[in-house]
Amino acid sequence: MENQKSKIGVYICHCGGNISDYVDIEKVKNLIAQEEGVHLVNNMMFTCSDSAQVDIVNDIKENNLDGMVVASCSPKLHLLTFRDVAKRAGLNQYNYIHANIREQCSWAHSDKTELATDKAVRIIRAAISKVRLSETLEQIEIPAINTAVVVGAGVSGMRSAIELADQGTNVYLIEKDHFVGGRVSQWGKLFPTEEPGENLVERLYHKVKERENITLFTGAEIKAVNGSVGNFELEVHITPRYINGMCDEAIQDQVLKACHIEVDDEFNFGLTKRKAIYKNYPNAYPETPVVDMNLCDKCGECLKICDGRITLDQKEENVSIKAGAILLNTGFDPYEPKEGEYGYKQVDNVITLQQFKRLIESNGKELTYDGKKIRDIAYIYCVGSRDAKGENKHCSRYCCTSAIHTAVDAKTKFKNIRNYHVTRGIRTYGKQETLFTDSSRQGDTYFQFFEGAMPTVENENGKALIKVKDALTQNEDIEFTADLVVLVTGMVARKDENLVNIFKVPVGSDKFYNEIHNKLRPVETVIEGLFIAGGCQSPKNIRATMASTLAASAKANSLIQSGMIALEPIVAKVNPELCEWCGACDDLCTYNAFEKVEYNGKTVAKVNEAMCKGCGACTPVCPTNAIDVVSLSDEEIETMIDSFIRDVEFTTTTTEEKADSFAEVVDFEKQVRVLPELSQRILDSLETEPKAIPDIAKELGVAADDVLYHLMSLRKYGMIKDTDEINEDEYYLYELKK
Amino acid sequence: MSRLNPDFSTKLKKYGAFDTSLCYNCGNCTAICSLSDKKNSFPRMMVRASVIGMEDRITSSLDPWMCYYCGECSTSCPRQANPGELMMSLRRWLSAKYDWTGLSGLLYRSLPISLFAFLLTAVAVIFYSFKLNFNVETIMHIGHQFEMFAIITVFAIIILPNVFRMWWSVIIKPKVKVPLKAYFKAAGDLFVHMFTQKRTLGCDDSQARWFMHMVLVFGYLALLFTTVVLDWFGTDNMFIIVLGYVESIVIFAITFIFMAGRIKRNKELNKFSQPSDWFFVIWLFLMGFTAFIVRIFIDLNIIENNLWLYLFHLIILVQWAVLIVPFGKWTHFIYRSFAMYFDKITETI
Repeated sequence: MENQKSKIGVYICHCGGNISDYVDIEKVKNLIAQEEGVHLVNNMMFTCSDSAQVDIVNDIKENNLDGMVVASCSPKLHLLTFRDVAKRAGLNQYNYIHANIREQCSWAHSDKTELATDKAVRIIRAAISKVRLSETLEQIEIPAINTAVVVGAGVSGMRSAIELADQGTNVYLIEKDHFVGGRVSQWGKLFPTEEPGENLVERLYHKVKERENITLFTGAEIKAVNGSVGNFELEVHITPRYINGMCDEAIQDQVLKACHIEVDDEFNFGLTKRKAIYKNYPNAYPETPVVDMNLCDKCGECLKICDGRITLDQKEENVSIKAGAILLNTGFDPYEPKEGEYGYKQVDNVITLQQFKRLIESNGKELTYDGKKIRDIAYIYCVGSRDAKGENKHCSRYCCTSAIHTAVDAKTKFKNIRNYHVTRGIRTYGKQETLFTDSSRQGDTYFQFFEGAMPTVENENGKALIKVKDALTQNEDIEFTADLVVLVTGMVARKDENLVNIFKVPVGSDKFYNEIHNKLRPVETVIEGLFIAGGCQSPKNIRATMASTLAASAKANSLIQSGMIALEPIVAKVNPELCEWCGACDDLCTYNAFEKVEYNGKTVAKVNEAMCKGCGACTPVCPTNAIDVVSLSDEEIETMIDSFIRDVEFTTTTTEEKADSFAEVVDFEKQVRVLPELSQRILDSLETEPKAIPDIAKELGVAADDVLYHLMSLRKYGMIKDTDEINEDEYYLYELKK
Repeated sequence: MSRLNPDFSTKLKKYGAFDTSLCYNCGNCTAICSLSDKKNSFPRMMVRASVIGMEDRITSSLDPWMCYYCGECSTSCPRQANPGELMMSLRRWLSAKYDWTGLSGLLYRSLPISLFAFLLTAVAVIFYSFKLNFNVETIMHIGHQFEMFAIITVFAIIILPNVFRMWWSVIIKPKVKVPLKAYFKAAGDLFVHMFTQKRTLGCDDSQARWFMHMVLVFGYLALLFTTVVLDWFGTDNMFIIVLGYVESIVIFAITFIFMAGRIKRNKELNKFSQPSDWFFVIWLFLMGFTAFIVRIFIDLNIIENNLWLYLFHLIILVQWAVLIVPFGKWTHFIYRSFAMYFDKITETI
């Protein structure tokens, strides 16, 4: 082919012995030098070292190289390092190909050095043939709108909205409920500052309102999303409040009282009732109450008190929003126990932790439930969590802390109660451990059970009878009665099929949203421009939620703020001449990257480069072979395979030659590596005869440890070897490797 | 199936225990205890039983008596739950539980009642002496007879029935099957432990504690023998007189060291002295010391003019014999020995 690369530089790394101990670098060098297009081959102790990088840059410039292969470790470690080297040398970064001869060769075949050498040659040859065909590519640049949509106005969503706004990104903050604050507004005092959840919400809400570049939509649900990173288009359905601002507080109270419709209050987990015109809690934000039009029978009672502001004829509407990036902060649901699980909904006085928290908030001086005074409270832990055989295998992390904090809080507020914790081992990790001490100090009793022997809750004369096989008491069966059983339920993913379908956000087996990489890329999803943070991703406490939401907003901002997004050019490409639209690729593509276009009077497929991930799944299904992935074309793959399977012809080497080549390597290594003084002295000392470590130590007057350390380094670099002989004290003798 | 009894720990606090709920069941205490073994694994399980309030488990257990309180468990407890002191409190609670009169528990729980009982005994002695017109010879004669009488009575009426109750709660009630033969086989152990307390040697702390304790036991028993059988205060035999002096010196010297330790709180076991501990050590000291002075007064022939001294000695003696021996810490000496005996019996099954 005409435009094949013909001046390729190949750099083979010793990796300080990690490769060169098992792969005969000299041999590889000689064979590679004969490959077509190879202009020069160099070996280096550490190609990633700064000095080696400078050498490569100079090489490329001086020899005017048009391609580069680095044979070293995994590209996961240093692909970007050498792309940068190419850039600095003025070489297109896609004309550099990486060959992995460490993880995939020397480490894997450390017991078969000849074969490892053979394989290294093949791997490098394949890389060279790919470089020969490599195209000069530029990263794809697409325009981006510097606007972000944040879904969910809980503390997480509000926090990221504020952060994005402060960095100059416009934000649309979309909340499904009519009030902001999400789950945190439902909790009372929070550990460790004892500040109530609603205070956090209040502070964040005011900050949101202060910023002009944040637009808050409440009662808003996303119906559809189109477009791709940099240019998403969302359709949002908005339910109005049916109230335009509110009269003063006194009138507001009258209005709320006047309504005659009552339903279970979801905000209080059904413990109390609310009206059709309502607020989640008195200080809920935005301040204006809302009319639940699904319940309202338009009786007009409220209008009598506050006419003019209540406008029951407001219409629902759809708005369209454009944004460059989307952040999902949709939070979690508390696990709802099944009927009969630890007596839930069957035995009186069994409630969940979340209900109990609302109960503490809504009770005055005395703790009562269902009109009965409460003294003994049993907390059963890990309800709906850590269930090895069930749906929720995870630990929700926050519940131990939350339950114990609630128990301490309850005991502080209602002095005469007694707390009994039936746990599966306490996980108040980190600073939260002090809570456990506080609870023990106030006299709380702890029990512990294992998954095989779950506690039971039954009715005994109007109280709950708890039976537990207590691991702390030599697995003895212990029973006690309680006035209230609190099921410490964990976090589960929100039941919002709708959002999952709209965004096609990947979901794990636990139903939480999945990130790209658990550790290294924790807030990005495989959908470019879509970020996740907080409880929708995995169970998190508020602190961890804040950390992830700030990370997500930083990632989103850095992606769209310049107005341009650079993407990898390694994407699928359709040859319109060959394509006869059949739709097979479109059906298959997980990323929705295909679109129909007209070409020379026929319908063909076209790839949206911003959405394509270059996975290559579409190439084999194309009946006309019209699709190729850039830089992974059939031709490239085939020549790579050809190069790989071509036999490696070693010239048979005699032992002497072997020794020679080794000596060369040693010489080379000696050049690049200044031997430490002690190593040199040890070598000198071994000149005369083989010696054991204690003898050398004595002779040189140094510690045997130091001798051992230097001796091992010398052996690693092939400068000495161990004999199979031992001296009279049964120490092995070492000698020079000549 | 045991029923939780959260009030038990509150009850136990009156016997000296505190903050048992701090325990998080790590088991450091049991691991560090050099006396704990597979059969008698303590103190963690006893702490747990106290938290849950498993009274039956505790009354049927010999574990509290297996502990000789070196204090290692308390110093190594990461939660300052003080298992060592809990074991001590359980010993007090158990001896109250064994005591059929219920007086033991009353005295342990209430300092005012204890003080009142001591006062009452003193008044009774003075009143009786008044009845005898403060006649030295008669009083000393009666005093001597009282000693013999008290030993027999206290043993027959209080100690023996209580040991029987202990046997009942650790062997009969939990239905431990013990062949008759075992009772005889282990009998030797009962006396070895009673007189040597050799199990203390298993503790990791200084063995001086065991040595002093043993010397004290022997000194005490020997002085008892010397005064009761050899009639130390009445004899002219030079050997017996000197023997008595030596024994009383041993008693007040060692108890003085023990008292100093409790004041200085120099060891873990000295840190939390309850009134019953103080009574025991102070009265033992006073017994030795007053006996020593009384005999000096006799040798100097000034006792007749200093009847108050003998009366003081007698009051101490009577309080010791009717309060501390049957209802106080003295009983631990008996219960411990029998605990070792019962342990040996159950071991041979």
